[in-house]
Amino acid sequence: MTEVNPEATADWGRAGDEGTVRRWMSDAVDFARAHGATYADARVVEIEEERVYGELKRDPDVRREHTLGIGVRVILGGMWGFGSRALGAADAPIAAAAGAVRMAASSPGGLAAAWAPLPPEIGTYHTEVHQDPFSVGLDRKQRLLDEVLQVARESPLVVSALAGVNAKRQRRYFLSTEGSWQIQTLVECGGVYQVWAAADGEVQRRSYPNSFHGNTGAGGWEFVESLGLLHEAPRVVDEASALLTAPQCPGGTADVIIGPAMTALQIHESCGHALELDRILGDEAGFAGTSFVEATGLGTFRYGSPAVSVVADPTAVGVRGSFGFDDEGQAAKQTTLVDHGVVVDFLSSRESAARIGRRSTVSMRADGWQYMPLCFSTHVALQPGQGSLQELLAKLGDGYYLDMDRSWSIDEQRLNFQFGTEVAYEVKRGVKGKLMKNASYGGVTPQFWGSVEQVAGAEEARVFGLPCGKGEPKQWGFVSHGSAPILVRGVRMGVAG
Amino acid sequence: MSLDAAAGRGEDVLLAHAEAALRSLGGSGDIVVTSRLGEYTRFAGPRIHQPQAIDELQLMARAVSRGGSARVATSHLDSAAWAGREAGALAKQVTGLSHREIALPGPDGVAAPAQSTWDGDSMRFDAAERGRLAWSAIQRAEQIGASAHGMLSLVVVEMAVANSAGLRRYVRASEVYYSVLVRLGAGSGYRSDVGRSLARLNPEVAIDEALADAVGSQKPQSLPPGSYDVVLGPLAVGDMLGFFGALGFAESAAGQESGIVARRGGTIVADPRISIVDDGTAPIGLPIPFDVEGVSKRRVTMIDRGVVGEAVTDLETAGRLQQASTGHAHIGREQAPAPTPANLILDAAPRSSQALTEGIERGLIISRFHYTRLIDSETSAFTGVTRDACFEIREGRVGTALTQSRFSEEILPVLSRCDAVGDTLVSQPLMNVWNGVASAPALRIRGFRLGFR
Repeated sequence: MTEVNPEATADWGRAGDEGTVRRWMSDAVDFARAHGATYADARVVEIEEERVYGELKRDPDVRREHTLGIGVRVILGGMWGFGSRALGAADAPIAAAAGAVRMAASSPGGLAAAWAPLPPEIGTYHTEVHQDPFSVGLDRKQRLLDEVLQVARESPLVVSALAGVNAKRQRRYFLSTEGSWQIQTLVECGGVYQVWAAADGEVQRRSYPNSFHGNTGAGGWEFVESLGLLHEAPRVVDEASALLTAPQCPGGTADVIIGPAMTALQIHESCGHALELDRILGDEAGFAGTSFVEATGLGTFRYGSPAVSVVADPTAVGVRGSFGFDDEGQAAKQTTLVDHGVVVDFLSSRESAARIGRRSTVSMRADGWQYMPLCFSTHVALQPGQGSLQELLAKLGDGYYLDMDRSWSIDEQRLNFQFGTEVAYEVKRGVKGKLMKNASYGGVTPQFWGSVEQVAGAEEARVFGLPCGKGEPKQWGFVSHGSAPILVRGVRMGVAG
Repeated sequence: MSLDAAAGRGEDVLLAHAEAALRSLGGSGDIVVTSRLGEYTRFAGPRIHQPQAIDELQLMARAVSRGGSARVATSHLDSAAWAGREAGALAKQVTGLSHREIALPGPDGVAAPAQSTWDGDSMRFDAAERGRLAWSAIQRAEQIGASAHGMLSLVVVEMAVANSAGLRRYVRASEVYYSVLVRLGAGSGYRSDVGRSLARLNPEVAIDEALADAVGSQKPQSLPPGSYDVVLGPLAVGDMLGFFGALGFAESAAGQESGIVARRGGTIVADPRISIVDDGTAPIGLPIPFDVEGVSKRRVTMIDRGVVGEAVTDLETAGRLQQASTGHAHIGREQAPAPTPANLILDAAPRSSQALTEGIERGLIISRFHYTRLIDSETSAFTGVTRDACFEIREGRVGTALTQSRFSEEILPVLSRCDAVGDTLVSQPLMNVWNGVASAPALRIRGFRLGFR
């Protein structure tokens, strides 16, 4: 008969005091070392997440999820091994470590892990929060969602609408046999609003602040308030309805300005993933794929035009891809990946960097305690150029303004892509005019980025936080991308409807 | 697999914690406990680079009220009672407009599962065996100057559901998966499959076939954009099935106003050779007898010999239609709960000796797609790229290898241009769907469009 403790709770902070957590982790890495591991690290991660969703014709759904566990990574006989366990049972830390040891021992041989010892990193980090999102009452969150849904409800053409707010807090502990010890407290918040309008067998969608999971940033409830969901709701509804009668965006070749939301995804798919060193070295070939960029291209490979500079910066404040330390204990730092169009570094881990004789760019991250850390984007942003959107439109002359993804597809080398957008606007003589629907554009990554004539200035830049899937079993990475609108010449346009 | 993991957490443990959560709920609701104790052997090039023993565990308590639901989840089973209490308290604050309460299923009429979900023999696919097999793939690839990549895994899946209407259910299931990619120069070969039983899968043969495809796909040529007769491999076809929920074969909040079942129910959208079901009771894919609401999985015919059938539902969407749930409740990560197809099957043809390439004067074999995305749910427009071992077909015979190409097509029109169906099903996981899988045979399709649209 299983006994269940009716008093046990999973309130935030259940992991307990620092000493208890550190003892669990020490037990785990000590076990690994005693069983032959030459290196071991342990991560205890506690996460609480709240999601409140409202839909037009469905009652609200509120969910809070709490999770706490330990993941242990080892090198034994030169081979990696990983094990994880939910924390609860007293033997969980040892069970996780034993799993990691057993998995490492199951490797019959092969190339040993490239691993050079590093000095310990000791420190703490926390997200700057002005208003704790977990202290904001459910009534207030529901009222916000009700109000934005009411805007959709009043439109005769809207058939469906979704509104949601989300909040997450994490405490991530890291301990390694090298002596590293870190505690991070991360908080993020976000919101989403999507509206579907339909008529005559056609459906059009408009989203705000972004179509793929809305937008989430590091910070408190103030981030949700900054989104202005209620303020934007009438425009979103109007545009969804207007798209139904809007003309089709024509195919062909055109000069375009791509808005920041779409460019954020373009960066994610064709820059972030393409510059992940584990992909470049073939570690993800069996699933997500490889990259058209080669490790030997460092410092010489022309990825884009001189207007294109891309920086990975997990030290940026208020963005979803920020942290103090990555999930193998390296301190966050800013790294230029593309300098005026030339690839100068990769998103890398300690091991992948060592395989090409470089230092990690601190991109090793894991989705919670359950999964083995992988190389993910952090906060990867296109550096702003100069000029306002109006100035960019004037420079464009005739063409189209495209924004917000409706669909996206790219090949396994991150080379050949086709993206559809929710909206297009015709631009004539530098003036943004007629709304058009079903636009898509495509190209080949270095040629596309090579055709970027100008990136607008910092005042036009926006940041979008989104989830990313990678690895087997699939885990989620939480990343962000920043961009100002970009002016691109000679883009292949298609029809996405 | 370690002995404790192979046994799973056990029915007594999961149901006892579900009961504890239910007792503290203080009203109507249900508890679902999901557990996946899995071992995953990932290999790439010269090594097994990510051997992982992973624990995925969640107890979720849902309190339902007139006006909505509140769910509280924990990975800490001992906190089950807390989760129930919290969900009950939270539900009192939820203020929906419908004043309709979800009707929870009771214990009556719960039939014994049609299929066994457990194969103890699959436990021999342990870390040592997977390591041996991965190493064999690595070495055989190296012998011909190639590299091997992939994953071999074994998972013990458990789910328990208890609700305030007296329902108690538990299932334990084995899950075996393999994928192997062999890269040689500009060529490559790929195989994968997933199921409940190792005996049904044959990863040794898959390695042979992937090696052969990699060797045979050297010096690939490119085909100009245009329409071609194609043989879509089972993985390419299964990829298309993954969009059936989004096409409208999952009941949504939009109800009768959009989606294919709502707008085109009873009409012909595919060739009569095409029948597609979602069937958690079938002996293929990853059968499981009930969903996270404890509702028995019902076989849902989405396309019956080319004609649009019905959509999957959960308790909420079925209640709105005043129907019984089909047993497809799903809660996706970072998503609102929505009914979701989870064991999609495109029926295979009876055993045939005729190759699907016969009758194709000039066309190609597409073994699988990569990064497909639905562009328009109403037209079923989708795009993606071909990947691994594409070959030209000339006069019914397999010819030179082809480079990967972008395609732009519409799923239902593609299925309407099918004129032959293969006799062998291959299964693949559905991205972002818990215990989700699609199983399909190869299809011969006339006039498949390659290129940017």
